[in-house]
Amino acid sequence: MKKEGIVKLISAEGFEFVIDKKAAMVSQTIRNMLTSPGSFAETELGEVTFPEISTTILEKICKYFYWSMQYASGKETEFHIEPELTLELMMAANYLHT
Amino acid sequence: MVVLRSRAVAPAVASPPPPKKREGDEAGIEPITPARAREPPAAAAAAQQSPQSSAPGPGPSPDDAGPAGPRRRSLRLASAGEPAGGTAPSGARKRKGRPIGGEEIRVLDLDGGDGRGDAPRAKPRREGNVDGDEVKDLNVELDLMEFPEGDGGGGFLSLRSGKSSDERGLEVRDALVGAGGDAVVNISDGEADDERERAGGGRNGAEVKLFGVDLRGIVNGSVKDKERNSAEDKGKGIMIDSVGTSLVLKSDCDGSGEVRRRGKYSAAEKGKAKLVEDDNFLLSNGSDVGLNQENVVLDGSTRKTAEVRILIEAPSRRTRVKLNESSGLDMREKFKEIARINASRFAHFNPEEVEQESNSAPEVAGNAEVASAEANEDPEDWPGPFSTAMKIIRDRSSKLSAQQTRFPLEKSKSPVIEWVPRRDQGRDLIEPVPPSLQELSMKVLADNVDAITSLEGVPDALRHRLCQLLCDSRRISAHFFDLLIQGCPTELCIRDCSWLTEEQFDKSFRECDTSGLTVLQLNQCGRCLGDYIVSSSLAKSANSLTVLSTVSITGACRLTDVGLRTLVSAAPSIRSINLNQCSLLTSASVETLANRLGSVLKELYIDDCQSIDAMLTLPALKKFEHLEVLSVAGIPSVCDDFIRKFIFVRGHHMKELVLGDCPNLTDASFKVIAEACPGLLSLDIVNLIKLSDAAIGHLANGCRGIRKLILRRNTFSDEAIAAFLETSGEQLEELSLNNVKKVGHNTAISLARRAKGLQILDLSWCRNLTDEAMGLIVDSCSSLKELKVFGCSQITNTFLDGHANPNVHIIGSRLSPILEHINVPETAGLLRYS
Repeated sequence: MKKEGIVKLISAEGFEFVIDKKAAMVSQTIRNMLTSPGSFAETELGEVTFPEISTTILEKICKYFYWSMQYASGKETEFHIEPELTLELMMAANYLHT
Repeated sequence: MVVLRSRAVAPAVASPPPPKKREGDEAGIEPITPARAREPPAAAAAAQQSPQSSAPGPGPSPDDAGPAGPRRRSLRLASAGEPAGGTAPSGARKRKGRPIGGEEIRVLDLDGGDGRGDAPRAKPRREGNVDGDEVKDLNVELDLMEFPEGDGGGGFLSLRSGKSSDERGLEVRDALVGAGGDAVVNISDGEADDERERAGGGRNGAEVKLFGVDLRGIVNGSVKDKERNSAEDKGKGIMIDSVGTSLVLKSDCDGSGEVRRRGKYSAAEKGKAKLVEDDNFLLSNGSDVGLNQENVVLDGSTRKTAEVRILIEAPSRRTRVKLNESSGLDMREKFKEIARINASRFAHFNPEEVEQESNSAPEVAGNAEVASAEANEDPEDWPGPFSTAMKIIRDRSSKLSAQQTRFPLEKSKSPVIEWVPRRDQGRDLIEPVPPSLQELSMKVLADNVDAITSLEGVPDALRHRLCQLLCDSRRISAHFFDLLIQGCPTELCIRDCSWLTEEQFDKSFRECDTSGLTVLQLNQCGRCLGDYIVSSSLAKSANSLTVLSTVSITGACRLTDVGLRTLVSAAPSIRSINLNQCSLLTSASVETLANRLGSVLKELYIDDCQSIDAMLTLPALKKFEHLEVLSVAGIPSVCDDFIRKFIFVRGHHMKELVLGDCPNLTDASFKVIAEACPGLLSLDIVNLIKLSDAAIGHLANGCRGIRKLILRRNTFSDEAIAAFLETSGEQLEELSLNNVKKVGHNTAISLARRAKGLQILDLSWCRNLTDEAMGLIVDSCSSLKELKVFGCSQITNTFLDGHANPNVHIIGSRLSPILEHINVPETAGLLRYS
């Protein structure tokens, strides 16, 4: 069932991350997927699958979404990134246009 | 000089405007010989004024007995206009400047009064040439004085008020000397046009008038009375001489005097009467006259009168003033005499003079053939979009000036810009933008670069960005270089290879599989790239770089023609080659490139290759069949002939030309370019000081699709640039008017109306643009992303906080880390236009 304002991001291993739609919209790619006038399956179900993004990386990305919304609302903190994640994180971020 | 000044100043003491030493100078000023340019006027002035003494009273120049009216007026004007004291001496000093000085003085005054702050620009420069240092000093001062405009001659006024002329003069001088930067720059540019226009717009009518008077007086250089009369009658001679004279005249100007002066002028000068009424007119007259004067003198006495007449006519075209030349004979004699005397002064060729002459061409469009030093016709004379636009703009200005007849105008020559800043505090409510995750991770990577074991799978764009970050922070190392070369790299872009040693380079490239390399960028590789290295590493075999299409090895200062030949023999499909600053390459390299790559090469960059003789490369250059981009900046042998011959053959495909810093180019080249390069999209003409408005006119008529225009330190007038924008502004995406001093309100209005697609705009050092002008531009150019305002000390928070464009990024208004704003072309590998 599809609740309003919620999307589900599915990692390569099948983990599902349920986050606010507003948070997911931080990523330009996801925003396009969810709001495009075309008929993406994602638009219907509110689910997006990323077969090439691993779970740890996707989790970090979701954390980034929430941090970014917090930053925009004025609370400017630091977003720490573990060095070992950085390379993959960078490539995932590049893909997600975020 | 001092003497001159003081005289002018003294009268001014009584009145707020700067002392008008002009008058005194005028009386005593006679054609100044180069050696003693100042002396005669000084002497003359001395009689009337004592440099440091406050003898010259405000109103009554002692010498103004006869032509008291005009003289007095001129003095007032002179003083009103500018820091007469300061300028007077300088005027004398400058040879060219002398007449210019007069002009400049006028201009200065005008500028002072002119809220637009035009003043700082042109005047000082012109004078600078002749007398070098002195002029420069003067100019500097002038600039300084001009800057604080605001009200009519604000800067000047502040200097002038409450001080004796001497002090003022000295202060001005000191201020000027103290000035640096802009002022000096201004000096070098010396745009007569600018001055004239300024004069036209002059703050105070008085000032403007002074010019007319001063000029005349100066020209005559004879007895005061005669001077005055002749000055008024002719109004032309003044230019030639004496800054001092002009100064004197100016200093006497003041508000009250204006009215009186006007009356006198109209009575005394049939021709000038209108000038009096119209500040603009007078100013433009003066400036035109001045410029023309210079030209006249340069060309010889016989032309002088003719030109003088023309000068008068020219401004009248714009100013609708009909100058009376009934006293032509008289003037002729005087001019001849003056020309004779001044001829030696102009014996030295000064490129700036030539520039000014050509600058004057557009001003006197109607008499371009006569007045212009160039053989080219003025594009304004041709039917075409540029001339139409110029007319529109001139009408705009003259309508405005017509409406403001009696008041000292701050922007009399420029249209008024109405713009009000937003009232809300929107600035503070803008949300902070969080940094992107990509950037954050990139930074962490850059910090831990040594821990990276492999860059496999990382897209090229990310590699380049990472490499750029590392180069900028000097953390790049051989380890990272090896990571980049691992495997079969497709692109290798290193902005700065100065850290790379030859051994490292050799070792890395020997083992590297370059068969897939399409883009190779090794900028600043002088240290590591020598001839033998190329053959042993990069060009290991004849086919080692088969798919290489873009190569950039700027700064390869040890690479000779032989090394380049080796490189090119291994890479047969190069489509873009960047050899900037490879100082050992000669025209033989271009020959090699043409022979091997003639059918494929599209972009050729050979900036600053000092050993390349442009004319010798011509036969080779003509062999490139598809050349789209040619960059020859900084090669001194690039001349009109070269451009003409090359463009006739290959101009049809040209999309980008970079001709900056080629000092020998003149308007003739641009005529050719406009006719033969219809598809030109990008043009860079920085530091080409010999160009005049005619060049911009040609471009506006011919190259209608220009998207990127880079100017810097050019001497085009405000109207010309505005006219160009009117005709071609729609497609413009990037425009730089850095240090184009004359830019003013006309340009601002045209930008606002036309430049809807403009994304990057550089208005650094354009000091005539007020907050209102900037606000209008920013609010109207909806696509604007970046606005550079370095050196625009005249803009305030009214604009910075009050504009309504949420996307624009304003750079340069406050201290900020410079590297933040450096633009790096993102797609280093792709061809620009294919």
